[in-house]
Amino acid sequence: MFVDFFYTLRERGIPVTPTSFLRLQKAMNAGLVHSLDDFYTVARTILVKSERFFDTYDQIFAHHFENASLEDPTAVELTAIARAMLEEWLQNPEGMAEALGIDQEKLKKMTPEELIQYFLDRLKEQTEAHHGGNKWIGTGGTSPTGHSGIHPGGMRVGGASRNHSAIKVALERRFRDYSQEGPLTQSQMGEALKRLRRMAPTGPKDIVNIDKTIYETMRNAGEIDIIFDRRLADRLKVVLMIDNGGWSMDPYIDVVQTLFHYASSQFKDLKIYFFHNTIYSRVWSDPQRYYKPQDVDDFIRWDPETRFIIVGDANMAPYELVHPNGSIYIDAKQTGVSLERLKLLAGTFRHSVWLNPMSIQEWRYSRTTEIIRQVFPMFELTLDGLEKAVQFLTSAS
Amino acid sequence: MSSEKNNPRFSGASKYVLDDELAKIVDVSMTLEMPLLLKGEPGTGKTMLAHAIAESLQMPLIVLNVKSSMKLIEALYQYDTLTRLNDSRFGDSRRDVSNIESYIKMGKVGQAFTADKRTILLIDEIDKADTDFQDDMLDVLDQMQFDIIEIDKTVKAKHRPVIIITSNAKKDLSDPFLGRCNFHHIAFPDPDMMRMIVEVHFPKLDEELMSVCISTFYRLRELRGIEKKPATRELINWIRALKSDPDFRPKTLLQGRVPYLGILFKKSADLQQAVQQVVKSRG
Repeated sequence: MFVDFFYTLRERGIPVTPTSFLRLQKAMNAGLVHSLDDFYTVARTILVKSERFFDTYDQIFAHHFENASLEDPTAVELTAIARAMLEEWLQNPEGMAEALGIDQEKLKKMTPEELIQYFLDRLKEQTEAHHGGNKWIGTGGTSPTGHSGIHPGGMRVGGASRNHSAIKVALERRFRDYSQEGPLTQSQMGEALKRLRRMAPTGPKDIVNIDKTIYETMRNAGEIDIIFDRRLADRLKVVLMIDNGGWSMDPYIDVVQTLFHYASSQFKDLKIYFFHNTIYSRVWSDPQRYYKPQDVDDFIRWDPETRFIIVGDANMAPYELVHPNGSIYIDAKQTGVSLERLKLLAGTFRHSVWLNPMSIQEWRYSRTTEIIRQVFPMFELTLDGLEKAVQFLTSAS
Repeated sequence: MSSEKNNPRFSGASKYVLDDELAKIVDVSMTLEMPLLLKGEPGTGKTMLAHAIAESLQMPLIVLNVKSSMKLIEALYQYDTLTRLNDSRFGDSRRDVSNIESYIKMGKVGQAFTADKRTILLIDEIDKADTDFQDDMLDVLDQMQFDIIEIDKTVKAKHRPVIIITSNAKKDLSDPFLGRCNFHHIAFPDPDMMRMIVEVHFPKLDEELMSVCISTFYRLRELRGIEKKPATRELINWIRALKSDPDFRPKTLLQGRVPYLGILFKKSADLQQAVQQVVKSRG
């Protein structure tokens, strides 16, 4: 029952599983559904697992049972479609290249994010829905992009395929590539950063040390002597410096925010400071870089075992880095050479890295990036780069 | 396991206002014997729902408050080695030292499994724990049994408990986890719903006070730059404070003055923001 409904949900990008569909059947057999309203609630609670899809579900439900027309793709749907497209791309890069009109080499270089953006741009170019036309994206047409089309080698966008030619299963780029190079999610970031933790005993002695207890009891000729230890807790100190100024960091706000949120929820002893482009005599602990300044010179007195992580694109005008009065802010007084400051920090904290959200290919086009690279070990802010950075931070101890 | 008669329908409890939709969902989850995952803003009554179900179905409620460092075993059982050691040393207890089983204490999940009647098991704020905990927990709840390694015994659920899981949606839960739960997202109540909720807590509240409080409350939720918006709990406490203040008149609120803002805004930065904006809108 309702198999069509189930497939429409899938087509529109709601991840419904066959198991949950069977469960729905079970619920109906159990006599829980007496009306359409019941069905709406029951089906949603069983099939849809995230409130992100509730709106899409509503639309499909209305379309399916009350014959309301399905709206043109909305923002939610676009994301859903984009995700479906991404999966398709992973399975069929050639078809995708052909469909979007870019050559394969270029497509391979695109990150999933760029690809989705490109695709969304195409979608926006068309102002109305096309079902059966030959323009860009729609359903059932002869266009290369869109679902259930009949263009040979075309790709489908989250739809059931009617023509076999649309599914070329060339498994060149599998899922692994995507997860390694793609945008970082919080859980991925967590996996990478978790290894940074360093457990050390703290707090009251409330854990029984069995080995020592046995040993001491033996020494006591059987008189029980219970030995308590302190609990292990993460004592790692982390300083996170974030470049949050200027347009050059704008494209990376998302990824830096993810890092920021993860770090602030995970590390107990975490200090976060903000700077613009590079570090002069002061950094700030408020993102506006106004209210709470902090003298960089004080850092020297801190625990040298602190893990020191700088996030920034390291891309600026060279004089900002090497001129004694390089700061681009008028109110900044005698600042000193920023590069010297960076060297001082790198010298103070043995475990320091610079995470750069720009891709590694772009680094050599920026002179300042090259210079800073010689002071701080620099890593890409991707899952791969993050793992390497963590490795570096832990191995140097 | 569950038969028809100990599977009564759920319709709401004295202190909890329930919409039809949610009642249906609780019903479905009980019938399908699946855990119900509740997500939603803090203060939308996720935890209260479990209490309400327990009250209305007359079932005992067992609450497992998940902590970030929690291991699955803590939720299942504990082997009290220390007491056993103590008993073996001094031998003045009535427990049998050679029998390890008498030193096994059931954790919350264990208690729910071994209870003599069907219970409600509330696993509160599961998102605090790591993904391994979540997945392992679901395995246990799926199979309705777990092993006690020390005595090589399997604990099977006598009655399948009604399982309610809440999450504050800070982290995404894993797909396999979601696949095994029914899902519901509790939206923040709209003013009409909120009125009913307040009525449940203050049955004899003055109509004028009620409407002015609720409209002020929703206006305050709209303020800019607030990190933690006031939720139902804050509203209830606020009304309680207003009622107990003998000098308070509903007119004060109408004039735009809001006393006891500190009850509604719990973070000092939020409170400052709110005070500023309230003063500004008055002037």
